[in-house]
Amino acid sequence: MSLTSPAERPPTATGPAGDVGGPARVGTRRAGPTRRRQGPLWLMTPGGALLLVVVVVPFVLALWMSVTDLDQYTLRQWAGAPFLGLGNYVEAFTSGPLLHSVWLSVAFSVLTTVLTLPLGIAAAFAAHDRFRGRGLVRSVFLIPYVLPTFVVGTVWRIALGPDGAVNTVLGSVGIDGGNWLIGGRTFWTLVLVDTWAAWPFVYLLCLAGLQSIGREVHEAVAVDGASWWQKTVHIVLPSLRGPLLLAVIIATLHHLNNFTLPFVLFGSPAPDEVNVLPIAIYSTSFQTFRFGLAAAMSVASLVLVLIPLLFYLRAVRLDTGLEKGAQA
Amino acid sequence: MSARKLVAVAGALTVAVSLAACGGGSSGGGGGGHAGQTLQVYLSRQASYPNEQQQWMQHVKDEFTKKTGASVEFETYSSATEEQQKIQTSVVSGQGPDIYEIGTTFTPTAYSSGAFLKLGDEQWNAVGGRDRFVPSTLAMSGPDEADQIAVPFSSLPFVLVYNTQMFTAAGIGGPPSTWDELVADAKKLTHGDTFGLAMDYKDPFSPWKYVWMFAQQYGNPLVQGTTARIDDPTVARAYDAYFGFLTEDRIVNPDAANWASADATANFASGKSAMFAMTSASVIPTLAKSPVANSYAFAPMPTVPPGESALPAGGVPATTIVSGQNLVVASYSTQQDLALQYVELVTSEAEQQHFSEVFGVLPTNAAAADAIASGKAQYAPVLEAGKQAKPTPFTGAWSEIQLGLTNITVQSLAGLSAGSVPPDQVQRQLADLQKTAQAAVDKAAAAR
Amino acid sequence: MTAAGRRRPAVDATAILPPGLRRGVIVVLVLLVLAPCAYILVASLMPDLEVASGTVVPSSVTLENWVAIWTTVPLAQGLTTSVVVCGVVAVVSALLAVTTAYVLVRFTFVGRVTFLRALVGLQSVPGTLLLLPLFVVYASAPAYLGVTVVGTTWGLMITYLTFALPFATWVMVTYIRGMPVELEEAGLLDGLSRVGVLRRIVLPLSAPGLIVAAIFSFLLGWNDVLFASVLTQPKTRTAAVVLQAFGASQEGGALPLYGQVMSSAVVCAVPVVILYLIFQRYLVGGLTGGLK
Repeated sequence: MSLTSPAERPPTATGPAGDVGGPARVGTRRAGPTRRRQGPLWLMTPGGALLLVVVVVPFVLALWMSVTDLDQYTLRQWAGAPFLGLGNYVEAFTSGPLLHSVWLSVAFSVLTTVLTLPLGIAAAFAAHDRFRGRGLVRSVFLIPYVLPTFVVGTVWRIALGPDGAVNTVLGSVGIDGGNWLIGGRTFWTLVLVDTWAAWPFVYLLCLAGLQSIGREVHEAVAVDGASWWQKTVHIVLPSLRGPLLLAVIIATLHHLNNFTLPFVLFGSPAPDEVNVLPIAIYSTSFQTFRFGLAAAMSVASLVLVLIPLLFYLRAVRLDTGLEKGAQA
Repeated sequence: MSARKLVAVAGALTVAVSLAACGGGSSGGGGGGHAGQTLQVYLSRQASYPNEQQQWMQHVKDEFTKKTGASVEFETYSSATEEQQKIQTSVVSGQGPDIYEIGTTFTPTAYSSGAFLKLGDEQWNAVGGRDRFVPSTLAMSGPDEADQIAVPFSSLPFVLVYNTQMFTAAGIGGPPSTWDELVADAKKLTHGDTFGLAMDYKDPFSPWKYVWMFAQQYGNPLVQGTTARIDDPTVARAYDAYFGFLTEDRIVNPDAANWASADATANFASGKSAMFAMTSASVIPTLAKSPVANSYAFAPMPTVPPGESALPAGGVPATTIVSGQNLVVASYSTQQDLALQYVELVTSEAEQQHFSEVFGVLPTNAAAADAIASGKAQYAPVLEAGKQAKPTPFTGAWSEIQLGLTNITVQSLAGLSAGSVPPDQVQRQLADLQKTAQAAVDKAAAAR
Repeated sequence: MTAAGRRRPAVDATAILPPGLRRGVIVVLVLLVLAPCAYILVASLMPDLEVASGTVVPSSVTLENWVAIWTTVPLAQGLTTSVVVCGVVAVVSALLAVTTAYVLVRFTFVGRVTFLRALVGLQSVPGTLLLLPLFVVYASAPAYLGVTVVGTTWGLMITYLTFALPFATWVMVTYIRGMPVELEEAGLLDGLSRVGVLRRIVLPLSAPGLIVAAIFSFLLGWNDVLFASVLTQPKTRTAAVVLQAFGASQEGGALPLYGQVMSSAVVCAVPVVILYLIFQRYLVGGLTGGLK
């Protein structure tokens, strides 16, 4: 880590960099063909500072809380809560619902992501093409996503009740809808409702990705006379790789942390079939007031999720962008 | 004018004297002694009466300013989640509202946090004295008389509501006095798609109250000293009876496995159920607008548990928990004297009567309660139930036990809907809950 | 079907799906979206009891719910707060994201890859874990910095901005990575500074990505209830909190005002749909710019 000369600083700097900028770290890593070693790193300071204050510091505090016996009795003097070491973690793994909840959460998130992908891609393809009323269709596609999760949950809970609108409609075609909100089917209710609400996320990312495919690429394909399927598989989807991988990761993580939807649909305590992590943690934290234990559960689940995530990131090489640079 | 000022000065003096140790910031100055100060009050939202609550807040603001010269700022919460998060964050950071309105069953947890002002004799005198209140409502103020934090603000006893017209048509004289009698009556009242009893099995707050009630009547307080008694056979028996209304006695609509309190109320309101237990006076506005508007009455729930013809030895004739809202003053508050003056104001006879008339809850102020009772015959059985209310165990472990008892019902809903709940499933869950409950009770005992 | 796509390349070469299939997809998806939405609309015109009993075709229609919501909940004030907070968050986070992403894509430095991975990792930190400690940090601000954060609009903005930043940055990283460097190099040769390149070349070229980043940042704040319910005061409540509080308070009430819940849901969705209608042509604008 060495400092660059002040001359590297852009003379026309307009950002809030004046006093904080300047020192820029120089990398020793391999550089892509077009990468500069010295860059205006100060441009990252506002974002970095925000992340530090709003995410990193609270996260460290949360880590501390997870190794203390923070509960209703010690909350007032939280800094002095008895140190437990890994006690909370041991309790979470041995006697809590943690492992069951992790499994449920992962299954739910992955399933939902898998279901939203084809919907989002198909929607993006359809909305990409030019046709009359395209703007309207694009907006309609966004509606499930712009409805606050709370509203989505409430509406579906009302509609999925035993005498709700869904069973009324099913009944009119001779199907007995049964129970959506209690018992074994609740897991699938959660998956379906979240799929309904979340597919526009994939759609929007995918649509933006499509915009970056140049007209001349399309024209070249048209001249080649490839079928739409060949074009999709060989040209369009590969160029959407970045946005789609990003969508998959972010969507999965969002489902994983979705508290509002299961909470509104099923409440807490939830049926065992939908006792997903956020619900289990909420219950530990706000219904039995074991804040330290809840923090430990959060951290443990975070680690359980992060490990496969990092392997995935390495495997898909989404983050380095080196191979992409080489292709360009 | 001068009389009012005198009262205000007297009030201010009382508080000043009682809080001399705290070195309160107020120094004489009569009614305007607290001018410029703002008291923050956090209270529950009255969902059924949004406009009335706005008016009530304005009214209290005016009265409070008249009394002390200070102003009040209200903030409302509409869910337990919101309330918990607010309290938690305020307690941790030592800043937030001066006064909280909290439920009676949450009061033990609040007490165990040590984050709220303990009420000694001086503080009680500042809010008008313990004698001001209906005695049973004080039962959830603290673990014992020497350690109290909560001032009762409103009372909402749980009762039975029944359809008088259907009772008359079936030739039933009056509300049942034992649970077996209730089941027998309900069987007479069940035919076609009309059922004898509406139940709210899916309610997040109701199920544990049945289990607590039956266990009490069988003679098991659930927590005795430092021992949790969840694995006692009486608890399993309580669940048996509770689920049995639907699965064995068939006096409950099978859809009730999906019903929360509001759904059961709606069902009763549409005349499809003859009775609905574990409800409160808060359903009056709904029923008043319904087809049963002129054919319903309240009654205390039966005090003899299912399967018994008289109260068993050691049994407690409990029907309703001590239910309602308490007021607590944050110990981080820098204007506790002012906060107590607020509490004094809103628990006074006039304000209690006004509050009760507007929102349909019962006063905790004894004089106001008497006044209400003489005015409305409808309220008499509810008030009676309230006077007989029994407290839930005052331990920091209670939240966990309450949640565990509810959870057993939640996990049984599917079976309930299908017509039978496997008894071994309940047994297994009770055994698990016994362990967590005992651990929580031990923890509470260690923290005392 | 394949023939249709090939027949008129000159008319619309950018099309991906053959028109028949495209129509099919659109019809199916629009139905999927609009059927529940139509139900919400219809339900908002129904009396509460009919909503509860699962009526799909109402026996009578009333505008009562629509009139009532404005007085039962402070919806107008919540919407104003939400639009202001989320609007600022959207713009600022998109701008911060593009600068951060630009540095991340075009330069190498120690910790670059780690930073990128951390950005993804941050997405997996559950909000419930951060809620309490974040409040502690904010609540101690008056003691250390002499400024009050809790309850202010800007405190909320900072929070959302930060939560929006990792994802917005990733969107921009993906986007900028796909952009040619030649133009930037030309700009540098013309004597533009790095910041000049960023402002004059990268920013305009990344418009579609910026819009997407801004939309998501906007929606993040729009939909959040967890943080807003703790970090705001009655006067700074956002629409989502107002709506949640309204809906949640129905649970305790004797008869839920389902109709009003439905109509306020519609009201909360409308501003975002309108915003999107305004901005979506810029989303297309990136394409017609004819770059790359």
